[in-house]
Order: sequence, then structure tokens, then C-alpha cells
Amino acid sequence: MMAKLITYLRDRAHILKYVFFAYLLFAIVFDYFAERHEPHFFGDTIIGFWSIFGTAVCLAMVVVFKGLYNNWLKQDEDYYDK
Amino acid sequence: MISNSVFMHPATLFIIGALLLPLLKRVHISLQKVLLVVVPVLAIIQIYHLPESFGVTRYMGFDLIFGRVDKLTFVFLNVFTIMALIGSIYGLHVNESGQHIAAWLYVAGSLGVTLCGDYLTLFIFWELMAVASTFLVWYRKKKRSIEAGYRYLLVHMAGGLILLAGIFLRYKNVGIEGLRFEQIATNGATLADYLIMIGFMLNAAVPPIHAWLPDAYPEATVTGAVFMCAFTTKTAVYVLARAFPGFEILAIMGAVMTLYGVAYAVIENDARRILAYHIVSQVGYMVCGVGIGTAMAINGACAHAYAHILYKALLFMGVGAVLEMTGKSKLNELGGLYAKMPLALIFTVIGGISISGFPLTSGFISKSMIIAAAGEHHMVGIMVMLLAAAVGTFLSVGIKLPYFVWFGGKSTEECPVEAKDAPWNMNLGMAMAAFFCIALGFKGHLFGFNWLYDMLPTPVTWDPYTSYHLSETLQLLGFTGFGFYLMVKILKPKPYMSLDLDWFYRKGARVFMWIASKPIHAVNEFVDNVWKTIGIRITMLTARFFSWFDKEGIDWVIDGSAQSVVNGGDHLRQIETGKIQQYIGFAVALLFMVLIAVVLAV
Repeated sequence: MMAKLITYLRDRAHILKYVFFAYLLFAIVFDYFAERHEPHFFGDTIIGFWSIFGTAVCLAMVVVFKGLYNNWLKQDEDYYDK
Repeated sequence: MISNSVFMHPATLFIIGALLLPLLKRVHISLQKVLLVVVPVLAIIQIYHLPESFGVTRYMGFDLIFGRVDKLTFVFLNVFTIMALIGSIYGLHVNESGQHIAAWLYVAGSLGVTLCGDYLTLFIFWELMAVASTFLVWYRKKKRSIEAGYRYLLVHMAGGLILLAGIFLRYKNVGIEGLRFEQIATNGATLADYLIMIGFMLNAAVPPIHAWLPDAYPEATVTGAVFMCAFTTKTAVYVLARAFPGFEILAIMGAVMTLYGVAYAVIENDARRILAYHIVSQVGYMVCGVGIGTAMAINGACAHAYAHILYKALLFMGVGAVLEMTGKSKLNELGGLYAKMPLALIFTVIGGISISGFPLTSGFISKSMIIAAAGEHHMVGIMVMLLAAAVGTFLSVGIKLPYFVWFGGKSTEECPVEAKDAPWNMNLGMAMAAFFCIALGFKGHLFGFNWLYDMLPTPVTWDPYTSYHLSETLQLLGFTGFGFYLMVKILKPKPYMSLDLDWFYRKGARVFMWIASKPIHAVNEFVDNVWKTIGIRITMLTARFFSWFDKEGIDWVIDGSAQSVVNGGDHLRQIETGKIQQYIGFAVALLFMVLIAVVLAV
């Protein structure tokens, strides 16, 4: 049953995509209404700051870490056995 | 005299249980399985009935304190015993007693460290943990595991020696009082304290002394890894929280750790290695919390350790189930498993969203407490690092890992491996951990009492469910998902490994071997030759002279004694067999006899 449900959802990935984008929009709108605590730094005062932060950090991590990996850290799996 | 305090110690339960396992297995295999459940359940009950202090004994002028219970101890004891139950149930299908024995001795070591009140007792249990857990790696019985196990053991022995050096130095500086395992003041810390701290940090896998963890854990047995991910690092968090709260260096190292672990989790290919690196990252939050040192931060570190043990074990169980059923754990060799192992998928995703700190999961109420403590302590840089690591956590373990194992753009037909859902006991273990991940997320309110927050060392006034914190989390997680959506092609795993700092000792060992086998060997040969040609002649000459002197001079004076020395030497030769294993065996047996004598004399 579980497998069927997951397969059903997987076959409708294009719809899920729009649900996901709607959720992202909701997250920003929700931030507009959220009650703020005393700010720890400037980011706490900007609406949607954590959206930008999340996207930027995520992209930066992938680019930087994958860059390090591809150019330096990546080795064959039997590297230490050679 | 046998006192009750031996049996009061929960470690005793596990040690006796471990000894009984092979005996019961001889009678009937199902008896072993019954015991595997009964002992952890007894331990869970037992820890609620511990007095504040027990098992205090004097041995050779030292005060050994086997039991010291306060709120900080209890929260760790509670989760350790629950984890022992979950882990044992998850491993019920394993018939080999040795694996269970190793796991339980390991648990016993961990409980012993958590309960002890002095550094000598701590050290004994600390080493028990190291040795017992090594067997969890070796029991995988593959060449890679045996090698990784040796490295693991050597690194931990080195860490243990640093710890011991710190303890001895402390004893020399402060005297007998210095052996009590109490909080160390931030302004009066000496070299001895820092050596102890390094010993603890090695077990907490703080970079640059972390590489043993992602090296050994992925090579351990399926069930062994579940135990290992729970105990070593979290015991280290406990001892750090006990001795070193408020040391700023820990706050900084912890924040660096969170990002370091995440970085490798993003690029790794082996699912269990991703999780291992994520231990480094998550333990970073706890170490950071300990370093911040405010009441809220220590609470956060304890809460996070509690939550982390359960969700990280759940993740290791989920991925372990895949490894058990398919024999594979590399992401590039998996994918499309969603219809074949849906239960493992659901459980792993629950673990994944908990570690990422989704609202209504355990990570949300624990991780955020440390981040908020950093904010309230005006450590904005550290707070931002912790939040960035949270993004990386969701990216690598929340999305990447389940996606590439169960989907990876492959349909069921394209799934490269044969598989079906894991045995019932594995699913039960996962279900129990998953239950805690969700139940803790409600702060226990759902059941009318506040389970985790009420257990923490100081009363909690902080509420994670504010609208701003919710908003922050919803945005961070949502847009991390968006980032993954954009970058999924780049993130596609490749069949390579990534270098880490274990390079230094793994390659360094080769240099050492080369030096030993080439230059040192050559010098040895040379000296040997010189000796053979010159040295022996001189020796023979001298010997002849002394022999003459001996016969004509000495033995004439002290008649007969020479003969008896010759006889004595013959006897000694028979005892000294020259086999190193037997020496170690004798030494260990002697050590155990002393230990038992001490414990029983309490």
C-alpha cells in the first residue's frame, strides 16, 4: 500500500513541483505576519531574509564543496590500497 | 564482602548479560533473543531508582566513585538505555553472540563513564568503550573493516594516553582532589586540563582529530554502526559538558565542526559515510553548546544529544536495512528502491526531517535551543555558522541521501538491486526510534507531560514554537529544497572517495614502514656485519678471560652458587614463552582480577 502511494505521488511529480513552489511563496508570506523577537543582527529585521540565506548558502555549499571535491579531494576508491 | 552497589550499577547488568548470552544461546537461540530485550528494559527501569551517590570505594589511597547521579547524568543515562534497547531489538536477527557481547560491553563502558565521579574510574570505562567498539568494526569480517578497526583502535589508544597524561599531570599538580571529575574553571585551566580536554575531544570527533569516525563507522557491521553512532561521541559530549562548560574554544571548534561535517556529507558517495560525517556536524552543535556554557546552551547540548542519538540511530538503521538487504550502501549503486523498501524509506525520511529540524520533530526543539543560546549570548558569527550548517544538513541528509537511495530519478524497473523490506525486528527498532523523533517534537505536550525538557539539567523557559522561529525554519528548509532542485545534477554522486585528514596517518604509516624497512633496516644490517666481524671476536676474547677468572677465582671462593643460578635460569626460561599474546592475556587477566577485587570490596 505504502509502495503504491509513493508510486502514485512519484508519477505526479510535476504537480508536486507546483505545490512546492506554492509552499515557498507561503513561507515568505508567513514571515510577513510572524511576530519578531528582539533582533540579534540585521537579518532578523528583513522580511524573507532566511529565504535568501537558505538559497544562497545552499548554492554556495554545493558549488564550493563540489569544487573542492572535483579539484582536490576526489580520489579512486582504492586510493589507500595502491 | 559483596555489597549491593555492584548490582546497583547499570553497567553490571550489561556485563553480566553479555556473559550470559553465549550460555543461553547454547540452550536455545530464542533464550538469547529474550535476554537481548530483557536486559535493556531492566536497565531503563533501574536508572530511575539510582541513589545520588553509590559505589564509593578506597583503593590504594585513591577514592573511586562508580556512581554519581544528578540531572546531567540522568538525561544521558535515560537515552543511552533506551538506545541500548532499540539497538538490541534492531540486531535481534543476528545470532552471533559475539556481536551482542561487544555491543553490550560498549554500552556498559558508556554507562560507566556517564556515572563515574573520578578520573581513574572514567579512564577504565573509557578504554572498555574503545576496545569493545573496535570489535563492532571487526565483526564485519571484511579486509577493509579489519584495517579500519585497527586504525580506530590505535587512534583511540593514542587519545586514551593523552587523557591519561592529563589525569596524571592533574594528580601531580593538584593532588588527590584533582582526580575528582568535576567542572573545571575557565580561568584556572592548566596544561593538564587541556590534555584531558583533547582526550575528550578526540572521542567527540572534533577536527582535526575526527577522521577515525568517518573511517571506521561505515566499515562496521550493520547493527554495530547503530550502536557506535549513539555512544562514543555522545559520551564525549557528556564529559565535556561535565568538565568544560563555558570554554570558548569549544564554541568555536563546535561551530567549525558543524560546517566541516556538512561539507563532506554534501560530497560523499557512501550513504553510511554521509551519516558518519553528519555525526561530526551534529556533535558540533553540542560541543558548541557546551562551549557557550550558559544554562540554556547546556540544556540545548543535552537535549540535542538526546534527540540526536535517536534520529541518527534511526538514519543508520534505515540505511543499514538497505545495506543488509541489498549489500550496497553507495549512492551511485542504488536508486529506485521506493517500491521495494517503502518502510525503510518512510523511517529514514522521518530521521532525515528530524535531523534537519522540521517543526514537530525532535531536531526542531533541540537544535534551535543551541542556536538561540548563541544568539542570546551575542555570538552572531557562531549563530550564523550553525544556521548555515542546518541548511547543509537538510541538503545532504534530509534530501540528498533519501533521494539518491530510494529515487535517484530511477523507477522501480530501473532499480539496480534486488530488495525487499527488512525483517520485522529491524522495522520495529526503526519504528521505536521514529516514534521518539516525532513524540519529542511535540515537546511531549501531546501526552500530557513534557518528556525531554523536564529532564534537562536546568528548568527550561524557552519555547521553540514561536511564530518567528517557525517562519525562519520554514524558509530555511523550503529554500534549501529549492537549492537542491536547482543543483540536483551537480549533486549526482560519483563512485569516488574523498580525502580527509586520516591521509596523514594512513600515508604517514607508509613512510614509517618505508623508513623501517629501508634505511633503518640497512643500518641494522651494517651494524650487524660490523658486529659479526669485529664485535664477536672481542666478546669471545673477553668471555674467555672472564671464564678463566671465574673458574680459577670466584667459584673457588663461593663454591656452588654458580650452579644454582644456572638452574634458576632454566626455570625462568620455561615461564617466559616469548609469545606476546600470552603476555597480553596474562596482563588483562591480572587487570580484571584486580578490578573485580576492588569492586567486590566496596
